[in-house]
Amino acid sequence: MRLELCWSDVEEVVAASPTRLVGKRLEVDLEALRALLSADPRLTGIRLDLVHPGERCRIGRVFDVVAPRAKLDGGEDFPGVLGGVAKAGHGRTLALGGVAVVATDQQTASVGTLAVIDMAGPNAALSAFGATHNLVISAWPAPGTERSDYLAAVRLAALKTAVRLAQTAREAEPNRVEIFALPPSPRVPPELAHLPRVAYIFQIHSHQRPTGLDEGILYGDPVRRMLPTIVHPNEVLDGAVLRGFMGRSVTTWATQNHPMIRALYAQHGRTLWFAGVVVTVAQATEPERVRSAFLAAGLVAHTLGADGAVFTKIGGGAPHVDMAQAAAQCEALGVKTTAVVEDMSTDGSAEGMLLFDFPGVDALVNVGSSQELLTLPAMDRVVGADDLAPRLLGETRATYGTLCGAIEQVGSTRVMAEVR
Amino acid sequence: MAVKPMQVVCYLNQFFGQLGGEEKAGVGPQVVDGAVGAARAVQQALGDAGTVVATVICGDNYAAEQAERAVAEMVALVAAARPDLVVAGPAFLAGRYGVACGALCAAVQAALKIPTVTGMHAENPGVELHRRQVYIVQTSAEAARMLDEVKRLVALGTKLARGEAIGAPTAEGYFARGVTRNVVAGASAADRAVAMLLEKLAGRPFASEVPRPAFPPVAAPRLAKTLEGATIALVTDGGLVPKGNPDGIEALNATRYGAYSIEGKAGLDAAQYDNPHRGYDTTWVKQDPHRLVPVDVARELEQSGAIGKLHETVYSTVGVATTLAHSARMGAEIAEKLRAAGVDAVILTST
Repeated sequence: MRLELCWSDVEEVVAASPTRLVGKRLEVDLEALRALLSADPRLTGIRLDLVHPGERCRIGRVFDVVAPRAKLDGGEDFPGVLGGVAKAGHGRTLALGGVAVVATDQQTASVGTLAVIDMAGPNAALSAFGATHNLVISAWPAPGTERSDYLAAVRLAALKTAVRLAQTAREAEPNRVEIFALPPSPRVPPELAHLPRVAYIFQIHSHQRPTGLDEGILYGDPVRRMLPTIVHPNEVLDGAVLRGFMGRSVTTWATQNHPMIRALYAQHGRTLWFAGVVVTVAQATEPERVRSAFLAAGLVAHTLGADGAVFTKIGGGAPHVDMAQAAAQCEALGVKTTAVVEDMSTDGSAEGMLLFDFPGVDALVNVGSSQELLTLPAMDRVVGADDLAPRLLGETRATYGTLCGAIEQVGSTRVMAEVR
Repeated sequence: MAVKPMQVVCYLNQFFGQLGGEEKAGVGPQVVDGAVGAARAVQQALGDAGTVVATVICGDNYAAEQAERAVAEMVALVAAARPDLVVAGPAFLAGRYGVACGALCAAVQAALKIPTVTGMHAENPGVELHRRQVYIVQTSAEAARMLDEVKRLVALGTKLARGEAIGAPTAEGYFARGVTRNVVAGASAADRAVAMLLEKLAGRPFASEVPRPAFPPVAAPRLAKTLEGATIALVTDGGLVPKGNPDGIEALNATRYGAYSIEGKAGLDAAQYDNPHRGYDTTWVKQDPHRLVPVDVARELEQSGAIGKLHETVYSTVGVATTLAHSARMGAEIAEKLRAAGVDAVILTST
């Protein structure tokens, strides 16, 4: 399967009509976009703001971040959620670099957990979204709209916007084209047969909370009874997997630019053979967890024939243990593993970093502690959270977990907890 | 910019303080102006950056046998000198000395808010006792290269006294204190994970970024009597609380637990209970609390005589992101109460 990401780099984003890409300047007709998004009866009072790197601006109430993408040929946009259900991961997809769509959640009850993005100051460098031009969507639920429907509508608005923006590159000559081509897993050329076969086990959701009916995560499916299954890595890169509504420390943007899949592609044919991707969910009960762990390990060891496997998780403690159980099952089958974990300690002690100790699961990389405190410096403007502006304008204490994009559990970030 | 010279107090035992050998190990704390004995190496390492204004000396036996009193007396001596930094030792492999160095440093930091540094060999018992609170520089076992070792203590101590950022244990040469700090790594977590996997696959050494937890194994005790004669208690970390959560048990990171009577109850009425637990989908437990705390079945077993008696108090907390320290404390407290109440065995339900 072969996917081409046709990148157009954007260095400037301005409000202007019509929506179009002029060289490296993206002009956005905010009024027309607002009209497009307002067609959803679940949303009301839609507001769109543009914020830019270096601006002393803080985005509040961040719900998810989406990378602008649009299919040029070979499939549907965000299949199963925005576009029709169709196989993703092949053909050509338009991608804008330097721009992100930020969806906000105006209903978050606990402001302590709301995510922020800083466009300037020291925190801007910790998150990918401090360096992108961001189109921020604020929308409120229409009367009678349930919470899950509201979140589904907000996410859909972000996806529509992402497609609309990327479509401006339809006529543009891309600045670069990234090619992701991976042959069927068993077809290894003899001269590369010595390379270790490596699989990626991607936990795409945690059932610590039940998913809503419209909470499409895999090709629009809310993955309620999902068992481990194999997907082509291109499907993940091309919009088949979206973040659920409650995924902490993970964005859809990170999944669209999946760092682990990119890292494995980068080494493919050189130091390893990328054997494939297994998607799993963190289960809610022990029998489900055990079943999922050995099924995932079986796919990795027996179907993909992997020698090694990398794991990531989504969410808190239960997904952390769920992932480790699957890794332990792999180790028991002779598959060497590494796993990316978040520092789970809530008191900053090294003893509390990990919630498991399974044989062989001894090679761990971490994405830092979301509990560690950091300072949000004073800003000039708050976007996406008008009601919280008085609090978010001034200097305030927060945690790394509050800063959207500082800790991405799929491994895009460089923040790590060091034992001292 | 000129940096103000530091005032330093050193702590030495009787041997390094040149009072004498083992025959002087019983002498109590005393203070000498300026640098004496091994403290001269500290002065040499400091150069123009600071002055050893006083040396506190105490015999090893005095420090070991009357530890609390010795530390209190030495803290008072340090306080009188009002230094910017305390350098204790280095103690190398000397056990009594190392423990005293660690204890004095910890006490000085806590009571006087003055930074401290000490040094010892990895096998000195003072390391395990005090590395969590005190910066302990790793030294060799014996004082063969005193000045070199002291230079490393002084380098770290100078940073501490000036409030400069302290690097990683391997970079600065101190024993990991077991605390975590977020830093920015040179590569993404994904790139590091793939690189680590390749090392592991090749059978080469790799450095995991997370230490394996050293959970002490807890052997399940044998029930000394038959179930028919035993009192059984129900305990859970799944978050069952009476409506209104009267004990205010936290939704995560819990520090509290509740004791809830089930006296006279054949079962748990869902309308009277709630569940603040934020770590799992509590829908089904709220619908029927017996899915978490099986009072109904336990009562049947009690009625049929399969168990002697159901303990009339259920203990409950929220087990999500709970620190090890609080978990251990709450567990010990609950166990103590159960034992005092004559409970023989516990059914612990988790989620």
